[in-house]
Amino acid sequence: MANKDVLDRVIKVTARVLNLDPGEIRPEHSFSFDLGAESVQSVELIAAFEEEFGIEMDEDAALAVERVGAAADFIGKQL
Amino acid sequence: MATLSPNVPTQTLPRQVSANGMDAIFSPQSIAVLGVTNTAGTVPHDIFVNLLSGRFNGVVYPVAPRKKHIAGVRAYDYVLDIPDPIDLAILVFPGNVCELALQQCVEKGIRAAIIISAGFREVGPAGAAREQRIRAMAAEAGMRLIGPNCLGVINTDPAVRLNASFARAMPAPGHIGFLSQSGALCTAVLDYAAGKNIGFSKFVSLGNKADVSEIDLLRYLADDAETSVILMYLEEMSRGYELMEVAHRISGENDHPKPILAIKGGRTAAGAAAAQSHTGALASSDVVCDAVMRQSGIIRCNSIEEMFNTAQLLAYQPLPRGPRLAIITNAGGPGVMATDAAVDRGLQLPSFSEDTTRKLAAALPAAANIKNPVDVIGDARDDRYVAALQAVLDDDNVDMALVILTPQSMTNINAIAEAVCRVRGQFADAGKTLVCSFMGAKDVAAGIRILQEYRIPHYLLPEWAVDALRDGVRYRRWLERERTGVKRFPVDQARAAAVIAEAADGYLTEPQALAVLDAYGFPVVEHTLATSVDEAVAAARRLGFPVVLRVVAPKIIHKFDVKGVVLNLQNADEVRSAYATMRANLLEHVAPEDLLGILVRPMIPAGKEVILGVSRDPVFGHVLMFGLGGIYVEAFKDVTFRVIPIREAAARNMVRGLRLSSVLQGLRGEKPSDLDAIEQALKRLSQLAADFPAIAELDINPLIVHPAGEGCHVADVRIRVQR
Repeated sequence: MANKDVLDRVIKVTARVLNLDPGEIRPEHSFSFDLGAESVQSVELIAAFEEEFGIEMDEDAALAVERVGAAADFIGKQL
Repeated sequence: MATLSPNVPTQTLPRQVSANGMDAIFSPQSIAVLGVTNTAGTVPHDIFVNLLSGRFNGVVYPVAPRKKHIAGVRAYDYVLDIPDPIDLAILVFPGNVCELALQQCVEKGIRAAIIISAGFREVGPAGAAREQRIRAMAAEAGMRLIGPNCLGVINTDPAVRLNASFARAMPAPGHIGFLSQSGALCTAVLDYAAGKNIGFSKFVSLGNKADVSEIDLLRYLADDAETSVILMYLEEMSRGYELMEVAHRISGENDHPKPILAIKGGRTAAGAAAAQSHTGALASSDVVCDAVMRQSGIIRCNSIEEMFNTAQLLAYQPLPRGPRLAIITNAGGPGVMATDAAVDRGLQLPSFSEDTTRKLAAALPAAANIKNPVDVIGDARDDRYVAALQAVLDDDNVDMALVILTPQSMTNINAIAEAVCRVRGQFADAGKTLVCSFMGAKDVAAGIRILQEYRIPHYLLPEWAVDALRDGVRYRRWLERERTGVKRFPVDQARAAAVIAEAADGYLTEPQALAVLDAYGFPVVEHTLATSVDEAVAAARRLGFPVVLRVVAPKIIHKFDVKGVVLNLQNADEVRSAYATMRANLLEHVAPEDLLGILVRPMIPAGKEVILGVSRDPVFGHVLMFGLGGIYVEAFKDVTFRVIPIREAAARNMVRGLRLSSVLQGLRGEKPSDLDAIEQALKRLSQLAADFPAIAELDINPLIVHPAGEGCHVADVRIRVQR
């Protein structure tokens, strides 16, 4: 289960990159299927997460993460 | 030109009927595109725009989460949000969310889906598992699937106008249906065809074939009123026997046969490398593919150019009535080239009737050649071409005509092209085939466009025209071929089954193999397995001299290599001596317990040596081989294959179809060999292999064939069983 702070920051970054209202984003949302992330935006999201959390992520592994909550878990393990 | 009728099909086709839910793919009334984006130049965006710009004759709904609109069309977050019923879903989401998307399509009750997205079987085990899940999901819901990992589908029917693909432009309507296992090739083919003004009826990229396969599409296109010729690019053929049956029916057996042309990619012999028998070594996937296509009536092509060359002929000209070709040219060299090519490919250049000769003499200058090929001379204008073409098309000795033009300073190219089209119109009901070769590029371009506009096949080179005509003649022969059945002989199947059942996997011993052949009525000479020199001598006396001794030891596969065969022994002393020598020699190679005995049999009179064989193809099952035999079989490689069971006509064609068949038919006054006996052996072998799937490889090499009426004898046989 993702840390609440990490999840909030993931939602904040996702909202900024995808130009959405943070209140619309829920942990179970899929980046592409529910939030409409395009392929270029998926790469932008990874870069934004890396900057936000000061980490480096394996791009293939990161792109395989489909949902917001899972992304927070994925990042949380690297902090 | 106003009186001409371009773009009219040459045959009346039946009304389209729905096939297995495929109508939802090709003729939907409403489409949802899932995963559309606003980024021009990407597949998810362009595929939606292509639907709009292709003027799809229905309603299109973009599903694009969190986007208000795509290309001015109101977008939906989820397919379930769309208030109206949807016939077809097109999925362009990333592969890893296609399951989610397809699940919602199922809930929405959508009947068909095209999954453009990659990320399935082609990316490894995880993708393969994902593909299996979507296949199961669609099957349970009764939904048809094209793809995944494909370019999409195009239907040019003006009543539909569906460009559900990311190809740049909608092709022109036409009567060629094209299906491909390579998506990238599809775009190249579309561009190629556009450059040649070739239209399509349907265009399908199969992708990974999670559901809809080439077999489903063949069935659909067979019933499609807009399609008169079917083209396929295949890289792998699954469900091989079913493909053969379906293609056989479509190409020649139903009320409205349609020619099928195919390119098979991946001509590799790697699969045959491990085979131990002659037949197995020669039965590469490529020769099996050749056999499959020949038996199915599929015209095999080696290149895209060749395929479209023939397709144009079959789609837009009457099928050649026969092989008699008239050539009209304004240049001697190309006329000679075309003549050489025609004769080389089995076509004929007939003599013209007296009436035709008189007409040509009256219309052409004295220097012209009024025999076939007709040379209207370099300064010919349209009037000479018209007169010559009318004369030859009116000749009962002519089945088809090739018009060759080289651009010379006095050649009025466009007028000649228009004249050819006009004469074609005059002879529309004559059933004559007409093709052109305007040689060159720049000067003849406008003339070629005129020909293409009026669906007169044009070829850059006369040889290509001749190739297409040859294919047309072959297809005519296929349609008119003798229909024969599969002969079934009365045999002792139980005896053969008992022998095979008691054998372990691997090679049968020679007595076992001979027993199997004997049970199936092959001409096997009487023989005895001797385990002592006295038994060998007694057997030789009983069977009659001269005799042959042959080692029987399961571990010895190549008998000659270990001196395990001695021929032409004339008396008991020679048998004793040979037996002793052979036994001593063999015990240097095998243990005494592995030496089962020595087979004694009479010498078989000399004759022609041929090979008959069976091998097992992983896709098509048993294939039968026939060729010139003995030790030269793999040197000459003059062999031919068929998938079993073979019909009577196939047996005949195998025997008479070898390059060196004249060897069997008698050279320089020699009596012809007993071809009927070979045919019968082939049919019996087909029956044997069909009855015993466990037979992995079988070589009868050689079968010694005697003069006509005197039969043949099995001289050596090897059978490998693998359950």
